[in-house]
Amino acid sequence: MSSVARTYGRRDTILLAGCVVLSLVALFLPERMREPIATTLRRTVLAPLVSLQSDAELSRRAWATREERVAARDSVTLRSMSLDALSAENARLRDLLGLGARLRWGFVPAEVLSGRGVGEQYTMPLSAGARAGVREFSPVVAPEGLVGVVKTADPTMSIAIMWSHPDFRVSAMAADGSAFGIVAAHLGSGPERYLLEMRGVPVRGTIPPGTEIVTSGLGGTFPRGIPVGVVLGELETSELWARTYLLRPAVLPSAVSAVMVLLPARADSGVAGVWQTGQGTLAATRAIVNAGDSIFRKSAMDSARTRTAADSLSRAAATAEPRR
Amino acid sequence: MRPIDLARTLIAFVVLVLLHFTLRPLLGWRVGPDFLVIALLLVAIRVRPGAAAVLGLAMGIVADSIELHAFGAGALAMCCVGFAASWLKAVFFADDMFLNAFFFFSGKWAFDVIFLLAERRVGGGELLRELLVWSPITAVVTALWGLLTLLILRPILRPSRT
Repeated sequence: MSSVARTYGRRDTILLAGCVVLSLVALFLPERMREPIATTLRRTVLAPLVSLQSDAELSRRAWATREERVAARDSVTLRSMSLDALSAENARLRDLLGLGARLRWGFVPAEVLSGRGVGEQYTMPLSAGARAGVREFSPVVAPEGLVGVVKTADPTMSIAIMWSHPDFRVSAMAADGSAFGIVAAHLGSGPERYLLEMRGVPVRGTIPPGTEIVTSGLGGTFPRGIPVGVVLGELETSELWARTYLLRPAVLPSAVSAVMVLLPARADSGVAGVWQTGQGTLAATRAIVNAGDSIFRKSAMDSARTRTAADSLSRAAATAEPRR
Repeated sequence: MRPIDLARTLIAFVVLVLLHFTLRPLLGWRVGPDFLVIALLLVAIRVRPGAAAVLGLAMGIVADSIELHAFGAGALAMCCVGFAASWLKAVFFADDMFLNAFFFFSGKWAFDVIFLLAERRVGGGELLRELLVWSPITAVVTALWGLLTLLILRPILRPSRT
C-alpha cells in the first residue's frame, strides 16, 4: 500500500516537474517559435472560444453604449424634425437674397433680434440701426411684401412696428389701380386679429376677392408697388360712402426672421418691378401684345411696300413696250 | 473516478470554460471572476496531482495563446496550482462553504502570484499593487463565483452512490 502510494507520489512529482519544465520552456521560447504555436492553437482549439469571447465583448459594448445610441437616435430624430424649419428658413433667405438682387441698392438687411414675447407681438427689434442708414419711417419689407415701418432708430438697432400694430397705416390700391384706400390692422378677435382691412375705398370701386393690394405710394412713406395683401371679401360696415375690404396679409408675422429696411433715397426713387405684382404682369402682357401687334403691322407694311414696288415695275414695263 | 462521475465533472468543466469566454467578457469587470481557475480546481480535487498538473499545463498553454506576452506564465501557474490543489484536497474541500471559498481564494491568488512573477512584465510598486491589492480582490470575486458555481452545479458534482 505504502509502495503504491510512493509510486503514485513519485509519478505525480515527475509529471509536475515535466509540466514545470515545459512551462518554463514555453516561457523562454523565442518570439519566432512562440508565435507559430500560439497561432496554431488560436486557429484550431481556441477558434470557437475566441469567437465566443469576441461575441460576448461585442454584446457588452452594445449594452454599455445603448444609452449613447438612444441619445444619438434622439438627436437624429430632433435634427430631422428641424430640417423642415431649416429648409423653410433657407428658402426664405434665398428669397431675401433674390429681393436684394432686385432692389440692387438703397436697402439694409436686418435680422429680427429676439423672439416676440407677450405684449410685444406687434413690434420687432431689428439688428440694423441709424449707423447703417435706417431712419424713422423707413419701410420694412420681406420677399413676400410689406412687413411694417421703423418706429425708432437707435445707432445700432431699431424698432419697427409690424402691419398688425394698431397704429400702422399704409395707403394702398388694387394692383390694377382701380381702387384706393387705407390699409390698417383688422382689430378683430382670435385668428382674425392677424388680418388686414382696407378702409375708405369709394363705393364705385368694387374689388373682387383675390385681387392683390399693393402700396399706392401716396403719402411718401412707402414707395408704390409693395404687396400688402390679397382681398378676402368685403366687410359690412355702417359707412355709406365707402367700402371696407378684409385682406389676407402678404407677410405672416410668424415667418419673419430676416427683413430688408428700405433707405429713404430708395423709397423716394420707387421700387417698380421689384415685386412681381398683378400690375406688373398686366403691363408685361400688354407689352407682349403690343410688341406682337407692332411686328404684325411692320410685316403688313413691308408686304404692302413690296406689292407697290412690284406694281410700279409692271406699270413701267407696260409703258415701255409700245415705244418699241 | 467512475465514468458517470467523470462525465459529470467534464460537463461542469466545459460549462466553466465556456463561462470564462462568454460571461467574463460580458461582465467586463476590472476584477472579473477567473472561471478557468475554478474549473481547474474543481477537476483537480477529483484527479491525481500529476494529472491535475498536466491539465493545468494544457489549460495554461491554451489560455496563454491569446496573450502572447505571457506565453508559458499561465501554464506554469496553472500546473502548480492544479498540482497543489489536488495534493491538498484532503485538507480542503470538506463540505464547508467557508473552506471552499478559502480554497478558491487561495487557488486564484496563488495563480496570480506565480503568473505575475513568471510573466516579468510588471515590477516594483506596480507589482506589489497588483499582488496585494488587485489580486486579492480578484481572488475574492473568483471565490464568490466559485461558491455560486458549486451551489448551481451541486447536483452534477455530487458523487454517484455505489
